[in-house]
Order: sequence, then C-alpha cells, then structure tokens
Amino acid sequence: MAALADTAALPPPRRRADSHRGLVFVLLAPVLAFFVVFNTIPLLWLLGLSFHSFSLTSGQPPEFVGFRNYVQLWMGRNNFWGDLQRTFTFVGVGVTIQTLLGVGLGLLFWGSRTMPGRRLALTLLFAPMVLTPVATGTFFRFIYDPNFGALNQILLGLGLPMVDFLGNPRTAFWAVLAVDCWMWTPFMILMTLAALGSVPRAELEAAEIDRLPFRKRFTLVILHHGKFILMLGILLRTIDSFKTLDLIIPMTKGGPGQQTRLVAVELNKQAFESFNMGFSSAYAVYLLLVSIAMTSIFIFVLNLRRRRG
Amino acid sequence: MVDIVLEGVTKRFGAQVAVDHLDTRFASGEVTCLLGPSGCGKTTLMRMIAGLETPSEGRILIGGRDVAGLPPRARDVGMVFQYPVMYPTLSVAENIEEPLRHDRRLSADERARRVDEMLDVLDMRALRDALIDELNTGLRQKVAVGRAVARHAEVVLFDEPTTNIEVDSKLQLIRAIKSVTSRLRQTIVYVTHDQTEAMTLADSIALMEAGRIVQQDAPRALYAAPRTRFAGWFLGNPGMNYLPVACRDGRVEADILSAPIPLPAGVQAGALTLGVRPEWITVGAGRAEGVVTDRVIGIGGRRLLTVRHGGETLRIKCAAAEAPPPGAPVRFSVPPDRVVLFDPEGRALEHGAPS
Repeated sequence: MAALADTAALPPPRRRADSHRGLVFVLLAPVLAFFVVFNTIPLLWLLGLSFHSFSLTSGQPPEFVGFRNYVQLWMGRNNFWGDLQRTFTFVGVGVTIQTLLGVGLGLLFWGSRTMPGRRLALTLLFAPMVLTPVATGTFFRFIYDPNFGALNQILLGLGLPMVDFLGNPRTAFWAVLAVDCWMWTPFMILMTLAALGSVPRAELEAAEIDRLPFRKRFTLVILHHGKFILMLGILLRTIDSFKTLDLIIPMTKGGPGQQTRLVAVELNKQAFESFNMGFSSAYAVYLLLVSIAMTSIFIFVLNLRRRRG
Repeated sequence: MVDIVLEGVTKRFGAQVAVDHLDTRFASGEVTCLLGPSGCGKTTLMRMIAGLETPSEGRILIGGRDVAGLPPRARDVGMVFQYPVMYPTLSVAENIEEPLRHDRRLSADERARRVDEMLDVLDMRALRDALIDELNTGLRQKVAVGRAVARHAEVVLFDEPTTNIEVDSKLQLIRAIKSVTSRLRQTIVYVTHDQTEAMTLADSIALMEAGRIVQQDAPRALYAAPRTRFAGWFLGNPGMNYLPVACRDGRVEADILSAPIPLPAGVQAGALTLGVRPEWITVGAGRAEGVVTDRVIGIGGRRLLTVRHGGETLRIKCAAAEAPPPGAPVRFSVPPDRVVLFDPEGRALEHGAPS
C-alpha cells in the first residue's frame, strides 16, 4: 500500500517536453500574470513602503528613512516584543487545545458511524467555523457581558461570583482564547476525519485482529497514514491563528490595557487607525518573516525521514 | 485445536444475499480452502469467521464457542489479507513480534524465540532488521504470514494472499505458507479462486457457488467425483466435457461409452448429461468418431485437442505421440466407470457402471 501511495505521489513522466515548450508558456501566462499583479507587486510595494516614513494624515510625500522602522520595532516601539510573545502564547495554547480536542472528538465521531443523528451533530458542530468571526465576536461579547450575559447568569444560578470576563485583565486573554477554540476546534475535527479517511481499512482490520491496543493502533496505523493531513491542518491553523484580528476587535479591541492585543490587532491599528503606512509595512514584513519561519519548520518536520533501523 | 462449525450462517447486504444458510464444519488442524468464482461469497464467509462482518443469521462456533456476535479481538484468530498489510514504521522482526507483545502470557524470551522460529521457517533470517519499504510485495506478504501465525492463534484465515503477488514470488509464498501451516497444525481457512493453489494446499476444499457450499471434499475426491455440473466445470483446466445422452431399455447409451451404463435405480429416463474429464478419454479406438480441429494446445508432453463430434465439441487430453494431426478423423472412447452422470438439475447420479 505504501508503495502504491508513493507512486501516486510522483509526477507523471515527462513527455515530449521540447515540442510543447511554447504551449506551456502560453498556458502558464494567465496564472503568472495574476500572480505578479496581485501578489508580487503588492509585496514589493509593501517592502518599499517599509523603508519610508509615510503618514496618510500628514499630507507629506513618503520620506526614505532606511531601516529606521525596522530598528524602532526591534527596539520595542509600541511594545512589539510583548505583542509578539502574547501572540505566540495565543497561537501555541490555542492550536494545541484545538488539535487535542479536534483529534479526540474526531476519533469519537469516526467511531460512531452507526449512531443515529450523527449527520445532524456534525453539521451543528461545524457551524462555528462557518460563521464570520466578527459575528462570533459580537455574539460572545453578549455572552460574556457582566450584567446580562448568559454565562454570568449561569454563574449566578450556581451561586458563584459574577466575572467581567472581557473587562478583567486576568481573564480577558483566556476568554478570547476560549472563543477561538470554540470557533476552530471543528476545523481540526474535520481534518482528523479526513486523516482517518485516508487510513486503509484493511490495516485497521489487521490491527484489530492482531489485538493491538488502541494506543498502538493509533501510533502504528492511524498516525502513519493520517499525519500529513493532520500536520497540514495544524499548519493552516497556526498561520491563520497568527493573524487573528476580526474575532478580537468586536470583543475587546485589544484591551483591557494590552491584554488581548495580538500583533494583527496592533498592525491593523497602526495602518488603518493611525495611518502610519511605513511603520505598519515594516511591521507586516516582520510578521511575514515569522510566518515563513513557522511554515519552514512544519515542512521540515513533515519531510523528516523516519528513523532508519 | 479447534474446529469451526457454521450453522445456518447467512449474510445479506441489502437485498443481495452473499452467503445463504450455510451449514458445515471445517475440521480442526486441517487446511480448508474456500474455492469459487468471484462473487460467490467466499471472502464474506471468511470475514464473518474473522469477526469483520456480523452474520445476518446463524451461528459460528469456533471450538464449540459461539462467536457470531464477538469482535475480532475476542476471537482467537490470525489473518492474512489480499494486500500485504504491514506496520510500515517497524522492521520485519518487530512486525512479527508486535501482536505477541500484547499477550501477557508470553515472556520476552518466548517472544524472541517465536520470532526467530518464524524467520527461520520463512527463510528470512537475513532480513530480520530490514524495513518494510525495502521489501517487495512477495516478501511483505511472507512477513504478514509470519505475523498472523506467530501468535499461535487457534484459527488462521487467509484471504486470497497470493492474488496481488508477482508470479515469481508466488511459488515461494505458497511454499512458505505450506511449511508454516504443516508445522503448527492450526485450523486454517484459505480463500482462493485459484484451483491449483487449492489443490496444492488443501486437506479439504469447500467449493462455493452463489453463497452456498456445493461440495466439500478432499481435493482428489472433488476432482474425480464432482457432485454438480458446476463442480465438474469449475475444477480442471479445462473443466469437464458435457454430452447429452439417451436412455434406452433402462440403460444409458452413448457412442463414446465403451459399454452402456445401467440406469441408476429410481431415476426416470430423461434428458441426462454425461460428464467426462478431458484426460479420461482415450484416443485411437472406440465407436465414437470425430474430427480434430486446428485448435491444439501443447501442455508439456501432452496435447489438448479440440474435437468436433457430431454437433458437440469435446476437449481431449492425450500423449503427444498419440495425437492425430489437425483435420484428421479420430476415434475415441471412455470406460463407463470413469464418467459422471448428471440429472436435468445438474446433480450427479450414483451409477453402478460395470468396471
């Protein structure tokens, strides 16, 4: 089976490449043009801007300042490192919880193929993922509301003290993180179900007949076949989580203080509230580098050859 | 050692009946081959014995214990699949050892001893630490056989294990299966659609057609005395020749018969069919006359002739030296004690032919 999968992953053999070279370029041209216009040019524009001081409100033309924006960020202007650290915590803790919950729930769903109402349960479970984050954020602001929020009503009913979840600096970060998990755990369930779907049935049956305990079936069979899809899910989630913005704005706008100010929130503020285009461009370039670094680590991990015997 | 008893076992997939009220017994310590064309229900039957399918009706008794509702892990079975199923991150020895690890009764020494024994029997000692990636499918399937057998399960099931193996590894694999099974004397059920394989491996063949076992016998007996027309046709390469015969004065006559056969007691004179295997016919003498067509196939020192005989086409196997050239007339006959008579429903009749 593994051999089969390996051959399937290989590109088809190249045929008469020379005679088709012209055609290849013609066919590629639209995609290349699209990529250059919408990807390369804006990226270069961003790079260029990041070396300038340019405020949309000052009325002055952009002024070349070299690496000043980068140096200022590096020196900690606007508490850049604090925001970055907070973001890493948000991503690390959030994606870990979502992965563990997602894999666990995914396995439960997968094992309940004959359960009545399974389809309805799956549909409901995926609803949070489909909602727009701004709506989710607004919606949870009401749930968390200290005076008439549903959550505090429950606490009250249980005889517990009321908590201003989003206003209290000790709870705000975790309250926001909880909403992120509520929203994105279904995505990891989906990826887990996809990963489980890629496991050949015969191998699961063989493991069952060989009387392997669940732990061994999971590591030897399920993870072996499903790890690529799972890692892809974690990678997508990590990149996406790193850019979390629209969930936070309606809930806390980064507050209280800076407790929920993630890098994307601050970047958004610098660019579209303070209009510091040069500074925010440098900020964006830093974040791009971090994203590239994270992606590279994932690809490296995925390509790690397994141990040689 | 345990036997497997099936009582009224039925499996339906929707409206389709895959296995239809089977009652039979697979003897303990023997190799029983489930043989039949694709879609006859043999794999479904085996999967029910393994516990991978639940029968719609009936009981499956392994060593007297009804296991029909139990999951595979609660039955003591090993299984080899159509594709070599491996744990690809483990080495050859680790693959064989893995199922043993979860049996608390086995000490580490005992496990190591069994793995070594298995590698010896499979002739794979040199590949002990090889990774699965480095093996071809034939070798992988040998490892799978070792893994299924090493646990010393009471029942071992083989689901067409040679189907997806390259021809040159096939014989090796069959030899390995043979030596492993004869050494441990486990109760073995082996599914195949390859009659040569069944003839080589089986102590007993259960021939299946459309969800039923039509005949269960030792290979030679099944070959020599098929109980249905289907059995006569399915076994042998090519299968039996069938000729319509007439009954006159309480006797069955045909020009191919060297002597008439008395009609079996209690059988109505009617449209009977005479079945004869290609190699049972002798050429050179007899009342029957035919013409050799140009479809002649050489099999070693023998020839397979296609002979036109009236409106019928017969296949005859004979020594190359006796074979007439294409287009030539040929005389042939068959002794009455070799032929099988079938009634209009295709069931074999007992007949007291003079020998």
